[in-house]
Amino acid sequence: MEWKNNFDLAKPGDFKTLDLLAVAGAREINDREIVFAGTGLPMLAVSLAQQTIAPNASIIYEAGSMDGRPAHLPASVGDARCEHKASVSSGLMDVFSQLQRGAVDLAFLGGAEIDKYGNVNTTAVGDYMNPAEGARLAGSGGNPDINSMARRTVFIMVQEKRRFKEQVDYITSPGWRVKDWPSGKWVTRQEAYGTAYRGGPVAVITNMAVFRFDEETGLMYLDTVHPGATVDDVKASVGFDIDVSRCRGETKLPTYHELYLLYNIIDPEGIFVA
Amino acid sequence: MADVKNKKMTVPEAVRELIKDGDMLTFSGFTIWRRPMSMVYEIVRQGKKNLHLVEVNSGTHGEVLIGAGCVKIWESCFMGHELFGKIGANLNRKLKNGEIIVEDYSHVHMVMRLAAGAMGVPFLPTYCALGTDILNPEYDVLGKKGLRDGSNPRIPTEKFNYQDDPFYGQRAVINVPAARPNVCIAHVQQVGEEGTVKVMGQRYSDNEAMKAADKLIVVAEEIVPEEVIRQDPTANLIPHYLVDAIVEQPWGAHPTGCFGYYEVDGAFIRDFYSKTKTQEGFDTWAEEWILGCGDYNEYLYKLGFNRLDSLRANAAMKYSLRVKRGAR
Repeated sequence: MEWKNNFDLAKPGDFKTLDLLAVAGAREINDREIVFAGTGLPMLAVSLAQQTIAPNASIIYEAGSMDGRPAHLPASVGDARCEHKASVSSGLMDVFSQLQRGAVDLAFLGGAEIDKYGNVNTTAVGDYMNPAEGARLAGSGGNPDINSMARRTVFIMVQEKRRFKEQVDYITSPGWRVKDWPSGKWVTRQEAYGTAYRGGPVAVITNMAVFRFDEETGLMYLDTVHPGATVDDVKASVGFDIDVSRCRGETKLPTYHELYLLYNIIDPEGIFVA
Repeated sequence: MADVKNKKMTVPEAVRELIKDGDMLTFSGFTIWRRPMSMVYEIVRQGKKNLHLVEVNSGTHGEVLIGAGCVKIWESCFMGHELFGKIGANLNRKLKNGEIIVEDYSHVHMVMRLAAGAMGVPFLPTYCALGTDILNPEYDVLGKKGLRDGSNPRIPTEKFNYQDDPFYGQRAVINVPAARPNVCIAHVQQVGEEGTVKVMGQRYSDNEAMKAADKLIVVAEEIVPEEVIRQDPTANLIPHYLVDAIVEQPWGAHPTGCFGYYEVDGAFIRDFYSKTKTQEGFDTWAEEWILGCGDYNEYLYKLGFNRLDSLRANAAMKYSLRVKRGAR
């Protein structure tokens, strides 16, 4: 089958969940935006957007490269491939300072647990001060920093009831209702950030659905369901009461052209799409 | 100040003469890129103890030191091996067993801490990670353990501090304390005979890490004539007078990668990660690859030409075009 110039929506069975996640991620990106992205799916999403709807989007990798156009897909943000044809290559202090200064429109991040307000945990499961009983995750990395200072954040996560929790065990990355330290009082994100407020999580893309957040209440709601899953499946895979009344139906499928780009142009070595 | 004429050392000499039990250390690199593995292995061989790591992020090097029982305190924000191991299995086990103290900051906090150290100021302000449990005073681990009593001059008396903006009326800032390590161990591509450091590719947080520490050990793929490295000073990162020791060790960052010289050895790291899931597994691995090798060159011979050659960077692209990275 000729996929290169086929812009029809792919039939279920012709693509994998990971492909759909990359495509759904790419569709969050607008042309000319500055995107801060981590390893894996975010790289695929931004690369795909640059090949389709957002040719002038720029990507920042936190290890220090700006608007690289890799000839071969990087396997991590520290990769030598990141700075191929980059505008500038420097280091963390530079790119994180640009982030804090307000240069970044959109960020893609991951998480192990998320709550109804979009607070994300990537630090530890269980009681943080009693590590004997819990399990440590990879740690914050740049997740809270990037999510703090970008205008919009999209989280890409695995959909499981134990990961979508009423309250996460440790707030690594801030959602729409957060604790204001040093008091520890629960406040809105806007209150917590004050003049430093810029935005926050706008979408959560999982292997089952796309979620968004209500602007007034800060609560997560179901936006679209991926083909093969139902609204009831989603409800059964969320550990809190999720608003499904605003569901718009099915997530838009990848086109054959997008699949062609993912498998032949962006990741021909099969590092992520295998 | 170090002797301008004679900074050259071997890996074992640099560890023996410049790193003491209980030292606070930091490193060059980023997760699985440009980590000073030759020095890390030698620290394990020499059995250094009670080290205090302060680093922007950690990776394979940190897992080696922690697995070998060299580390007492780890302050950072990330431990893992990227695609080749999602967490730090040694860190998790030692933390569960109460054998290591972990203090969490965010990535920006750690960069700022080292930047403050590098700038000679006691703290720097940021807005990053407001509203998170990183700031939760109940989760100030060093404080809860009574280690912020001022008796260790390298441990700040507070984890964070808050301050109103005195100038523009903006939101109060988070102040993060300077990090002032005893030693930074860096692995770079080139160093001049007098110590001028050239870093190629993304520089990660090398500038801050190298300048924050009291002493700087630079391991390079190549020592080059000082007058050659000075032909393009704009490309250099660290002046010679900040460098205390220079060591030439080709392939010295393996299995982590080195821009322009070689690739990350993903298969080696994946195997290491699988072995670290038990202490016995790590010990067996360390016996084979560290203690069983008299020095780093013996380790390289054990890896063999074919393996290293597949990782060798293409001179034009700065990375290997031959290493198999994915499923196709």
